[in-house]
Amino acid sequence: MERHFEAELEKLKTRILKMCSLVDEQLTAAIRVIEEENIELANQIIERDDKVDKYDVKIDKACQKLLALRQPVATDLRFIMSAMTINNNLERIGDIAVNIASNFLIMRKKPDFLSKTNFTPMANIVKEMVKNSIDSFINNDPKLAQKVIETDKILDQYNVDNHQILISIMKENKENIDTAVALLVICRQLERLGDHATNIAEDVYFIVEAQMIKHKYVKFLFGEMGDDKDDDNDKEINN
Amino acid sequence: MKETKITVKNLNLFYGEKQALADISIDIYSQRVTAFIGPSGCGKSTFLRVINRMNDLIDDVRITGKIQIDGIDIYDKNLDVVNLRKRIGMVFQKSNLFPKTIYENLIFGPRINGIKDRKVLDEIAEKTLIQAALWEEVKDRLDDPALSLSGGQQQRLCIARALAVEPQIILMDEPASALDPISTAKIEELIDELKKNYTIVIVTHNMQQAARVSDYTAFFYLGRLIEYDKTSRIFTNPSNRQTEDYVTGRFG
Repeated sequence: MERHFEAELEKLKTRILKMCSLVDEQLTAAIRVIEEENIELANQIIERDDKVDKYDVKIDKACQKLLALRQPVATDLRFIMSAMTINNNLERIGDIAVNIASNFLIMRKKPDFLSKTNFTPMANIVKEMVKNSIDSFINNDPKLAQKVIETDKILDQYNVDNHQILISIMKENKENIDTAVALLVICRQLERLGDHATNIAEDVYFIVEAQMIKHKYVKFLFGEMGDDKDDDNDKEINN
Repeated sequence: MKETKITVKNLNLFYGEKQALADISIDIYSQRVTAFIGPSGCGKSTFLRVINRMNDLIDDVRITGKIQIDGIDIYDKNLDVVNLRKRIGMVFQKSNLFPKTIYENLIFGPRINGIKDRKVLDEIAEKTLIQAALWEEVKDRLDDPALSLSGGQQQRLCIARALAVEPQIILMDEPASALDPISTAKIEELIDELKKNYTIVIVTHNMQQAARVSDYTAFFYLGRLIEYDKTSRIFTNPSNRQTEDYVTGRFG
Protein backbone atom coordinates (compact mmCIF):
# COMPACT_ATOMS: atom_id res chain seq x y z
CA MET A 1 0.00 0.00 0.00
CA GLU A 2 1.37 3.40 -0.99
CA ARG A 3 1.23 5.58 2.03
CA HIS A 4 1.08 9.31 2.38
CA PHE A 5 3.11 8.77 5.54
CA GLU A 6 5.86 7.21 3.41
CA ALA A 7 6.15 10.42 1.43
CA GLU A 8 6.39 12.45 4.64
CA LEU A 9 9.15 10.20 5.97
CA GLU A 10 10.98 10.52 2.67
CA LYS A 11 10.69 14.30 2.91
CA LEU A 12 12.13 14.24 6.40
CA LYS A 13 15.02 12.10 5.24
CA THR A 14 15.75 14.43 2.32
CA ARG A 15 15.82 17.37 4.69
CA ILE A 16 18.27 15.60 6.99
CA LEU A 17 20.45 14.75 3.99
CA LYS A 18 20.54 18.42 3.03
CA MET A 19 21.59 19.28 6.56
CA CYS A 20 24.22 16.51 6.40
CA SER A 21 25.82 17.94 3.31
CA LEU A 22 25.72 21.49 4.70
CA VAL A 23 27.34 20.41 7.97
CA ASP A 24 29.92 18.34 6.10
CA GLU A 25 30.82 21.41 4.04
CA GLN A 26 31.12 23.53 7.18
CA LEU A 27 33.47 21.03 8.78
CA THR A 28 35.66 20.62 5.70
CA ALA A 29 35.84 24.42 5.40
CA ALA A 30 36.76 24.80 9.10
CA ILE A 31 39.76 22.52 8.65
CA ARG A 32 40.75 24.33 5.48
CA VAL A 33 40.62 27.62 7.40
CA ILE A 34 43.54 26.46 9.50
CA GLU A 35 45.47 24.71 6.77
CA GLU A 36 45.14 27.68 4.39
CA GLU A 37 45.09 30.45 7.03
CA ASN A 38 41.87 31.60 5.40
CA ILE A 39 40.26 34.37 7.50
CA GLU A 40 37.59 35.08 4.90
CA LEU A 41 36.48 31.45 4.89
CA ALA A 42 36.35 31.52 8.71
CA ASN A 43 33.90 34.42 8.57
CA GLN A 44 31.82 32.63 5.95
CA ILE A 45 31.51 29.60 8.20
CA ILE A 46 30.31 31.72 11.09
CA GLU A 47 27.72 33.40 8.89
CA ARG A 48 26.49 30.15 7.38
CA ASP A 49 25.74 28.63 10.79
CA ASP A 50 22.35 30.34 10.69
CA LYS A 51 21.37 28.04 7.90
CA VAL A 52 22.33 25.00 9.97
CA ASP A 53 20.22 26.27 12.84
CA LYS A 54 17.24 26.80 10.55
CA TYR A 55 17.46 23.21 9.31
CA ASP A 56 17.71 22.08 12.93
CA VAL A 57 14.43 23.78 13.82
CA LYS A 58 12.68 22.60 10.66
CA ILE A 59 13.68 18.97 11.21
CA ASP A 60 12.64 19.06 14.87
CA LYS A 61 9.25 20.47 13.91
CA ALA A 62 8.75 17.85 11.21
CA CYS A 63 9.57 15.05 13.70
CA GLN A 64 7.23 16.51 16.30
CA LYS A 65 4.43 16.63 13.76
CA LEU A 66 4.99 13.06 12.58
CA LEU A 67 5.02 11.77 16.16
CA ALA A 68 1.84 13.62 17.07
CA LEU A 69 -0.16 12.89 13.96
CA ARG A 70 1.05 9.48 12.86
CA GLN A 71 1.82 7.65 16.11
CA PRO A 72 4.59 5.73 14.38
CA VAL A 73 5.69 2.30 15.59
CA ALA A 74 8.49 -0.17 14.90
CA THR A 75 10.88 0.89 12.13
CA ASP A 76 9.08 4.21 11.54
CA LEU A 77 9.34 5.05 15.23
CA ARG A 78 13.02 4.18 15.34
CA PHE A 79 13.67 6.29 12.28
CA ILE A 80 11.93 9.36 13.70
CA MET A 81 13.51 8.98 17.14
CA SER A 82 16.89 8.73 15.47
CA ALA A 83 16.16 11.58 13.09
CA MET A 84 15.75 13.82 16.13
CA THR A 85 19.03 12.84 17.73
CA ILE A 86 20.93 12.75 14.44
CA ASN A 87 19.63 16.25 13.77
CA ASN A 88 20.85 17.32 17.18
CA ASN A 89 24.31 15.86 16.54
CA LEU A 90 24.53 17.50 13.12
CA GLU A 91 23.67 20.84 14.65
CA ARG A 92 26.45 20.35 17.22
CA ILE A 93 28.91 19.47 14.45
CA GLY A 94 27.91 22.74 12.79
CA ASP A 95 28.58 24.61 16.04
CA ILE A 96 31.98 22.99 16.37
CA ALA A 97 32.91 24.07 12.83
CA VAL A 98 32.08 27.61 13.99
CA ASN A 99 34.17 27.19 17.16
CA ILE A 100 37.16 26.04 15.12
CA ALA A 101 36.78 29.00 12.79
CA SER A 102 36.44 31.40 15.75
CA ASN A 103 39.52 29.97 17.43
CA PHE A 104 41.47 30.49 14.26
CA LEU A 105 40.42 34.14 14.32
CA ILE A 106 42.15 34.33 17.72
CA MET A 107 45.32 32.71 16.31
CA ARG A 108 45.16 34.68 13.02
CA LYS A 109 47.78 32.39 11.48
CA LYS A 110 48.75 28.76 11.34
CA PRO A 111 51.10 27.88 14.24
CA ASP A 112 54.72 27.17 13.14
CA PHE A 113 54.66 23.99 15.18
CA LEU A 114 51.47 22.64 13.57
CA SER A 115 53.24 19.77 11.82
CA LYS A 116 54.68 18.56 15.14
CA THR A 117 51.17 18.13 16.55
CA ASN A 118 48.45 15.60 15.79
CA PHE A 119 46.20 18.22 14.20
CA THR A 120 46.42 16.93 10.63
CA PRO A 121 45.92 13.23 11.36
CA MET A 122 43.06 14.09 13.73
CA ALA A 123 41.43 16.34 11.14
CA ASN A 124 41.70 13.60 8.51
CA ILE A 125 40.19 10.97 10.77
CA VAL A 126 37.35 13.26 11.81
CA LYS A 127 36.46 14.17 8.23
CA GLU A 128 36.30 10.49 7.38
CA MET A 129 34.25 9.63 10.49
CA VAL A 130 31.68 12.34 9.81
CA LYS A 131 31.49 11.39 6.14
CA ASN A 132 31.10 7.69 6.96
CA SER A 133 28.46 8.32 9.59
CA ILE A 134 26.46 10.31 7.05
CA ASP A 135 26.97 7.64 4.37
CA SER A 136 25.87 4.93 6.79
CA PHE A 137 22.67 6.92 7.37
CA ILE A 138 22.04 7.44 3.65
CA ASN A 139 22.62 3.78 2.80
CA ASN A 140 21.24 2.18 5.98
CA ASP A 141 24.62 0.57 6.43
CA PRO A 142 25.19 -0.78 9.97
CA LYS A 143 28.65 -2.15 9.04
CA LEU A 144 29.91 1.27 8.07
CA ALA A 145 28.31 2.67 11.24
CA GLN A 146 30.27 0.16 13.30
CA LYS A 147 33.47 1.19 11.55
CA VAL A 148 32.84 4.80 12.62
CA ILE A 149 32.35 3.69 16.22
CA GLU A 150 35.59 1.71 16.21
CA THR A 151 37.57 4.56 14.66
CA ASP A 152 36.67 6.84 17.56
CA LYS A 153 39.16 5.04 19.80
CA ILE A 154 42.02 5.96 17.47
CA LEU A 155 40.91 9.57 17.48
CA ASP A 156 40.74 9.63 21.28
CA GLN A 157 44.28 8.30 21.54
CA TYR A 158 45.56 10.93 19.10
CA ASN A 159 43.91 13.56 21.28
CA VAL A 160 45.51 12.28 24.49
CA ASP A 161 48.96 12.22 22.84
CA ASN A 162 48.34 15.65 21.42
CA HIS A 163 47.93 17.12 24.90
CA GLN A 164 51.43 15.98 25.80
CA ILE A 165 52.87 17.28 22.56
CA LEU A 166 51.32 20.72 23.05
CA ILE A 167 52.38 20.92 26.70
CA SER A 168 55.97 20.18 25.65
CA ILE A 169 55.74 22.87 22.99
CA MET A 170 54.52 25.38 25.59
CA LYS A 171 57.29 24.41 27.99
CA GLU A 172 59.91 24.80 25.27
CA ASN A 173 58.91 28.34 24.47
CA LYS A 174 56.54 30.55 26.44
CA GLU A 175 55.90 32.62 23.31
CA ASN A 176 53.93 29.65 21.97
CA ILE A 177 51.44 29.47 24.86
CA ASP A 178 48.64 31.56 23.34
CA THR A 179 48.67 29.77 20.02
CA ALA A 180 49.20 26.36 21.60
CA VAL A 181 46.21 26.83 23.89
CA ALA A 182 44.04 27.87 20.93
CA LEU A 183 45.21 24.79 19.02
CA LEU A 184 44.60 22.62 22.08
CA VAL A 185 41.02 23.84 22.12
CA ILE A 186 40.67 23.18 18.39
CA CYS A 187 41.99 19.63 18.70
CA ARG A 188 39.71 18.99 21.64
CA GLN A 189 36.86 20.14 19.37
CA LEU A 190 38.00 17.63 16.75
CA GLU A 191 37.78 14.94 19.38
CA ARG A 192 34.20 16.05 20.20
CA LEU A 193 33.36 15.84 16.49
CA GLY A 194 34.33 12.19 16.62
CA ASP A 195 31.85 11.69 19.46
CA HIS A 196 29.05 13.27 17.45
CA ALA A 197 29.87 11.11 14.42
CA THR A 198 29.82 8.11 16.76
CA ASN A 199 26.39 9.12 18.09
CA ILE A 200 25.04 9.33 14.56
CA ALA A 201 26.50 5.92 13.74
CA GLU A 202 24.89 4.42 16.85
CA ASP A 203 21.54 5.85 15.75
CA VAL A 204 21.95 4.34 12.30
CA TYR A 205 22.63 1.01 13.95
CA PHE A 206 19.47 1.46 16.03
CA ILE A 207 17.35 2.26 12.96
CA VAL A 208 18.54 -0.73 10.97
CA GLU A 209 19.22 -3.38 13.61
CA ALA A 210 16.75 -2.21 16.30
CA GLN A 211 19.46 -2.51 18.91
CA MET A 212 20.70 0.25 21.17
CA ILE A 213 24.46 0.08 21.37
CA LYS A 214 25.14 3.53 22.71
CA HIS A 215 26.25 2.52 26.18
CA LYS A 216 27.69 -0.68 27.47
CA TYR A 217 24.91 -0.85 30.07
CA VAL A 218 22.08 -1.38 27.60
CA LYS A 219 22.56 -5.15 27.65
CA PHE A 220 22.88 -5.15 31.40
CA LEU A 221 19.63 -3.23 31.87
CA PHE A 222 17.54 -4.73 29.11
CA GLY A 223 19.06 -8.14 28.42
CA GLU A 224 20.31 -9.65 25.20
CA MET A 225 17.19 -8.76 23.19
CA GLY A 226 16.88 -5.22 24.49
CA ASP A 227 13.46 -5.96 26.01
CA ASP A 228 11.87 -4.16 28.90
CA LYS A 229 11.90 -6.14 32.07
CA ASP A 230 8.57 -6.60 33.79
CA ASP A 231 9.30 -4.14 36.56
CA ASP A 232 9.48 -0.50 35.63
CA ASN A 233 11.49 0.68 38.59
CA ASP A 234 15.00 2.08 38.34
CA LYS A 235 16.64 0.06 41.05
CA GLU A 236 19.30 -1.34 38.70
CA ILE A 237 20.52 2.17 38.02
CA ASN A 238 21.62 2.67 41.61
CA ASN A 239 23.34 -0.72 41.84
CA MET B 1 5.26 -14.16 38.09
CA LYS B 2 3.02 -14.84 35.11
CA GLU B 3 0.96 -18.00 35.08
CA THR B 4 -0.50 -19.61 32.02
CA LYS B 5 -4.30 -19.56 32.04
CA ILE B 6 -5.12 -20.77 28.56
CA THR B 7 -2.97 -23.17 26.61
CA VAL B 8 -3.66 -23.80 22.95
CA LYS B 9 -1.79 -26.46 20.99
CA ASN B 10 -1.93 -27.06 17.24
CA LEU B 11 -5.45 -25.75 16.89
CA ASN B 12 -7.17 -26.03 13.50
CA LEU B 13 -10.68 -24.88 12.74
CA PHE B 14 -12.69 -25.58 9.60
CA TYR B 15 -15.97 -24.07 8.47
CA GLY B 16 -16.99 -26.95 6.21
CA GLU B 17 -14.14 -27.27 3.73
CA LYS B 18 -12.69 -23.88 4.48
CA GLN B 19 -9.92 -23.72 7.04
CA ALA B 20 -10.26 -20.60 9.20
CA LEU B 21 -7.54 -21.29 11.75
CA ALA B 22 -4.35 -23.17 11.05
CA ASP B 23 -2.01 -24.74 13.54
CA ILE B 24 -2.34 -22.20 16.33
CA SER B 25 -0.32 -22.68 19.48
CA ILE B 26 -0.29 -20.03 22.17
CA ASP B 27 -0.08 -19.60 25.94
CA ILE B 28 -2.31 -16.85 27.34
CA TYR B 29 -1.30 -15.55 30.74
CA SER B 30 -3.35 -14.99 33.84
CA GLN B 31 -3.80 -11.40 35.05
CA ARG B 32 -2.50 -10.04 31.79
CA VAL B 33 -4.22 -8.38 28.86
CA THR B 34 -3.62 -10.13 25.58
CA ALA B 35 -4.59 -8.34 22.36
CA PHE B 36 -5.38 -10.12 19.10
CA ILE B 37 -4.68 -7.98 16.07
CA GLY B 38 -4.77 -8.62 12.33
CA PRO B 39 -6.66 -7.61 9.21
CA SER B 40 -10.34 -8.53 8.77
CA GLY B 41 -10.86 -12.22 8.15
CA CYS B 42 -7.55 -13.22 9.72
CA GLY B 43 -9.28 -15.47 12.25
CA LYS B 44 -8.83 -13.44 15.42
CA SER B 45 -12.55 -13.30 16.31
CA THR B 46 -13.02 -16.94 15.37
CA PHE B 47 -10.18 -17.81 17.71
CA LEU B 48 -11.68 -15.71 20.50
CA ARG B 49 -14.93 -17.65 20.11
CA VAL B 50 -13.08 -20.95 20.28
CA ILE B 51 -12.06 -20.10 23.83
CA ASN B 52 -15.63 -20.24 25.17
CA ARG B 53 -16.90 -22.73 22.63
CA MET B 54 -19.22 -20.29 20.92
CA ASN B 55 -18.45 -21.99 17.63
CA ASP B 56 -20.40 -24.99 18.94
CA LEU B 57 -23.50 -23.08 17.86
CA ILE B 58 -22.42 -23.00 14.23
CA ASP B 59 -23.14 -26.05 12.07
CA ASP B 60 -20.37 -27.65 10.13
CA VAL B 61 -17.54 -26.42 12.33
CA ARG B 62 -14.73 -28.88 12.90
CA ILE B 63 -11.98 -28.29 15.42
CA THR B 64 -8.78 -30.24 15.96
CA GLY B 65 -6.02 -29.62 18.44
CA LYS B 66 -6.08 -28.88 22.13
CA ILE B 67 -7.31 -26.01 24.25
CA GLN B 68 -6.87 -26.13 27.97
CA ILE B 69 -7.98 -23.70 30.63
CA ASP B 70 -6.18 -24.26 33.91
CA GLY B 71 -5.01 -27.55 32.48
CA ILE B 72 -8.51 -28.82 31.66
CA ASP B 73 -9.36 -29.70 28.06
CA ILE B 74 -12.37 -27.53 27.22
CA TYR B 75 -13.36 -29.65 24.24
CA ASP B 76 -13.57 -32.78 26.37
CA LYS B 77 -16.85 -34.58 25.61
CA ASN B 78 -17.72 -34.82 29.30
CA LEU B 79 -17.19 -31.13 29.98
CA ASP B 80 -20.19 -29.07 31.03
CA VAL B 81 -20.25 -26.18 28.55
CA VAL B 82 -22.52 -24.06 30.73
CA ASN B 83 -20.04 -24.38 33.56
CA LEU B 84 -17.22 -23.44 31.22
CA ARG B 85 -19.02 -20.33 30.03
CA LYS B 86 -19.69 -19.30 33.60
CA ARG B 87 -15.96 -18.94 33.97
CA ILE B 88 -15.66 -16.86 30.84
CA GLY B 89 -17.34 -13.49 30.37
CA MET B 90 -17.74 -12.04 26.93
CA VAL B 91 -18.21 -8.47 25.75
CA PHE B 92 -19.06 -7.66 22.16
CA GLN B 93 -18.62 -4.73 19.82
CA LYS B 94 -22.21 -3.62 20.26
CA SER B 95 -23.74 -3.73 23.69
CA ASN B 96 -26.28 -6.56 23.88
CA LEU B 97 -28.21 -5.64 26.98
CA PHE B 98 -31.60 -7.11 27.68
CA PRO B 99 -34.51 -4.68 27.31
CA LYS B 100 -34.91 -4.67 31.07
CA THR B 101 -33.77 -2.45 33.91
CA ILE B 102 -30.12 -1.86 34.75
CA TYR B 103 -30.58 -3.97 37.88
CA GLU B 104 -32.30 -6.83 36.05
CA ASN B 105 -29.46 -7.00 33.55
CA LEU B 106 -26.89 -7.29 36.32
CA ILE B 107 -28.58 -10.03 38.30
CA PHE B 108 -29.73 -12.06 35.31
CA GLY B 109 -26.72 -14.40 35.37
CA PRO B 110 -26.52 -14.86 39.15
CA ARG B 111 -30.27 -15.56 39.30
CA ILE B 112 -30.05 -18.22 36.60
CA ASN B 113 -27.24 -19.71 38.63
CA GLY B 114 -29.65 -20.11 41.54
CA ILE B 115 -29.09 -17.06 43.71
CA LYS B 116 -32.47 -15.94 45.05
CA ASP B 117 -31.59 -13.85 48.10
CA ARG B 118 -32.39 -10.23 47.27
CA LYS B 119 -29.66 -8.95 49.59
CA VAL B 120 -27.01 -11.06 47.89
CA LEU B 121 -28.23 -9.95 44.47
CA ASP B 122 -28.11 -6.30 45.55
CA GLU B 123 -24.55 -6.78 46.70
CA ILE B 124 -23.58 -8.37 43.41
CA ALA B 125 -25.16 -5.48 41.49
CA GLU B 126 -23.32 -2.86 43.52
CA LYS B 127 -19.99 -4.68 43.49
CA THR B 128 -19.96 -5.27 39.75
CA LEU B 129 -21.06 -1.71 38.99
CA ILE B 130 -18.20 -0.42 41.14
CA GLN B 131 -15.78 -2.77 39.37
CA ALA B 132 -17.05 -1.54 36.02
CA ALA B 133 -16.63 2.10 37.13
CA LEU B 134 -20.33 2.72 36.58
CA TRP B 135 -21.67 2.82 40.13
CA GLU B 136 -21.43 6.57 40.68
CA GLU B 137 -23.24 7.26 37.42
CA VAL B 138 -26.19 4.87 37.89
CA LYS B 139 -26.56 4.13 41.60
CA ASP B 140 -29.73 6.26 41.85
CA ARG B 141 -31.39 4.85 38.78
CA LEU B 142 -30.94 1.09 38.94
CA ASP B 143 -34.56 0.60 37.94
CA ASP B 144 -34.26 2.68 34.79
CA PRO B 145 -34.25 0.81 31.47
CA ALA B 146 -30.71 -0.28 30.63
CA LEU B 147 -31.21 0.94 27.09
CA SER B 148 -31.68 4.51 28.36
CA LEU B 149 -27.96 4.67 29.16
CA SER B 150 -25.43 6.22 26.79
CA GLY B 151 -23.46 3.95 24.46
CA GLY B 152 -20.36 4.06 26.65
CA GLN B 153 -22.37 3.36 29.79
CA GLN B 154 -24.19 0.48 28.10
CA GLN B 155 -20.87 -1.07 27.19
CA ARG B 156 -19.63 -0.75 30.77
CA LEU B 157 -22.91 -2.28 31.95
CA CYS B 158 -22.23 -5.23 29.64
CA ILE B 159 -18.85 -5.60 31.33
CA ALA B 160 -20.49 -5.35 34.77
CA ARG B 161 -23.03 -7.98 33.74
CA ALA B 162 -20.21 -10.25 32.58
CA LEU B 163 -18.45 -9.78 35.92
CA ALA B 164 -21.61 -10.64 37.89
CA VAL B 165 -21.18 -14.38 37.31
CA GLU B 166 -17.63 -14.14 38.65
CA PRO B 167 -15.73 -15.29 35.59
CA GLN B 168 -11.97 -15.78 35.51
CA ILE B 169 -11.51 -14.85 31.90
CA ILE B 170 -13.02 -11.93 30.02
CA LEU B 171 -13.10 -12.03 26.23
CA MET B 172 -13.70 -8.74 24.48
CA ASP B 173 -14.44 -8.47 20.80
CA GLU B 174 -13.86 -4.86 19.73
CA PRO B 175 -15.39 -3.53 22.95
CA ALA B 176 -14.76 0.15 22.19
CA SER B 177 -15.00 0.39 18.44
CA ALA B 178 -18.43 2.02 18.53
CA LEU B 179 -17.56 4.49 21.29
CA ASP B 180 -16.31 8.07 21.38
CA PRO B 181 -12.76 8.77 22.67
CA ILE B 182 -13.85 9.57 26.23
CA SER B 183 -15.93 6.40 26.59
CA THR B 184 -13.10 4.48 24.95
CA ALA B 185 -10.65 5.87 27.49
CA LYS B 186 -12.98 4.76 30.30
CA ILE B 187 -13.18 1.23 28.92
CA GLU B 188 -9.41 1.13 28.58
CA GLU B 189 -8.92 2.35 32.16
CA LEU B 190 -11.36 -0.32 33.22
CA ILE B 191 -9.45 -3.04 31.39
CA ASP B 192 -6.29 -1.93 33.15
CA GLU B 193 -8.08 -2.12 36.50
CA LEU B 194 -9.71 -5.50 35.78
CA LYS B 195 -6.53 -7.25 34.76
CA LYS B 196 -5.47 -7.37 38.41
CA ASN B 197 -8.10 -10.07 38.94
CA TYR B 198 -8.93 -11.45 35.52
CA THR B 199 -7.37 -12.84 32.39
CA ILE B 200 -8.38 -10.54 29.57
CA VAL B 201 -8.29 -11.20 25.86
CA ILE B 202 -9.25 -8.38 23.54
CA VAL B 203 -9.74 -8.35 19.79
CA THR B 204 -9.17 -4.91 18.34
CA HIS B 205 -8.73 -3.27 14.97
CA ASN B 206 -7.33 -0.22 16.66
CA MET B 207 -3.58 -0.73 16.79
CA GLN B 208 -3.04 2.13 19.20
CA GLN B 209 -5.59 0.59 21.52
CA ALA B 210 -3.77 -2.74 21.45
CA ALA B 211 -0.56 -0.87 22.23
CA ARG B 212 -2.18 1.05 25.09
CA VAL B 213 -4.08 -1.68 26.90
CA SER B 214 -2.32 -4.96 26.33
CA ASP B 215 0.70 -6.66 27.85
CA TYR B 216 0.95 -9.24 25.08
CA THR B 217 -0.04 -8.98 21.45
CA ALA B 218 -0.78 -11.76 19.00
CA PHE B 219 -0.77 -10.95 15.29
CA PHE B 220 -2.96 -13.17 13.10
CA TYR B 221 -2.89 -13.32 9.34
CA LEU B 222 -4.81 -15.65 7.03
CA GLY B 223 -5.81 -17.90 9.90
CA ARG B 224 -2.30 -18.26 11.26
CA LEU B 225 -0.66 -16.86 14.34
CA ILE B 226 2.24 -14.98 12.82
CA GLU B 227 3.81 -13.49 15.92
CA TYR B 228 3.09 -13.43 19.63
CA ASP B 229 5.21 -11.42 22.02
CA LYS B 230 5.21 -8.68 24.58
CA THR B 231 3.27 -5.71 23.26
CA SER B 232 6.26 -3.42 23.79
CA ARG B 233 8.26 -5.63 21.51
CA ILE B 234 5.58 -6.04 18.81
CA PHE B 235 5.33 -2.27 18.52
CA THR B 236 9.02 -1.39 18.71
CA ASN B 237 10.83 -4.28 17.14
CA PRO B 238 8.70 -7.15 15.86
CA SER B 239 10.61 -10.21 14.70
CA ASN B 240 8.45 -10.93 11.71
CA ARG B 241 8.37 -8.87 8.54
CA GLN B 242 4.59 -9.29 8.13
CA THR B 243 3.97 -8.07 11.68
CA GLU B 244 6.20 -5.07 11.01
CA ASP B 245 4.31 -4.27 7.80
CA TYR B 246 0.98 -4.61 9.55
CA VAL B 247 1.69 -2.52 12.65
CA THR B 248 3.29 0.23 10.58
CA GLY B 249 0.29 0.25 8.26
CA ARG B 250 2.16 -0.91 5.17
CA PHE B 251 -0.46 -3.55 4.48
CA GLY B 252 -3.76 -4.65 5.89
